[in-house]
Amino acid sequence: MNCNDCIEHLDSYVDRELNNTEMLELKLHLETCPPCADQYDFQVHLKRLVKVCCDKDEVPPAFREKLRQILL
Amino acid sequence: MAESPARTAFAEEALTHLDTLYRGALRLTRDPDQAQDLVQEAYLRALRYQHSYQPGTNMKAWLFAIMRNLFWDRFKGSRKEDVSLDDVGEFVLYEKLRDEGAKPEADVLDKLAASEVVAAVEKLPPLHREVVLLVDVEGFSYKDAAQTLGVPIGTVMSRLHRARQQLQRSLYDYAVESGIVRASGTHQVPQQ
Repeated sequence: MNCNDCIEHLDSYVDRELNNTEMLELKLHLETCPPCADQYDFQVHLKRLVKVCCDKDEVPPAFREKLRQILL
Repeated sequence: MAESPARTAFAEEALTHLDTLYRGALRLTRDPDQAQDLVQEAYLRALRYQHSYQPGTNMKAWLFAIMRNLFWDRFKGSRKEDVSLDDVGEFVLYEKLRDEGAKPEADVLDKLAASEVVAAVEKLPPLHREVVLLVDVEGFSYKDAAQTLGVPIGTVMSRLHRARQQLQRSLYDYAVESGIVRASGTHQVPQQ
């Protein structure tokens, strides 16, 4: 695997969507290619940041209760 | 009127996914009141169509699909109104920042305000925003996201890629505006 192949599949690798063989091939490339490894780390960091920031909103308790009243 | 035990059990299970649905609705509508209306309507519709849910399958995905379909029907009027992302070419924030001598994670990502990250997500066109919500925020597999959105897996992948590109561009612009990084020349980075 070369760097172009690695970058092309980086989204799927970050999302753990490749098959076992592909995951292993990409992992081996990352272990021997610091520039690609840095980019991988960045993508993972960014994905985590998006999750953490968008996960903060909580359901207003009054709305939760209202729904329970309506549905149950 | 007393509800049947089966309906109550179904509603109880459905309500365990309320956080996911509310967060999704909030990001899609960008308005807390509209988000609550959307979620409530989605739950009522889910109960109405309870018979179409197959026990043992992914209820969270099923509920999210109901909600996002309602969103498109009610809040957007027509899918034609969706605005696709302009083809801005590859924008690789990481490389951009490295070229400018910054340490991408420590110098930039860790300094971004959470509100700006949310704003960048909300700025994405809805068709791209919902893929980010499903895959990045809620952890859906590509397959489940494709099923939820009613599109092929390849479409999920391409929308996700473009959404992430746009997200990086927005965050870079914010980083420049807020002085986290210093602006330099063009934002375009040649595709590898």
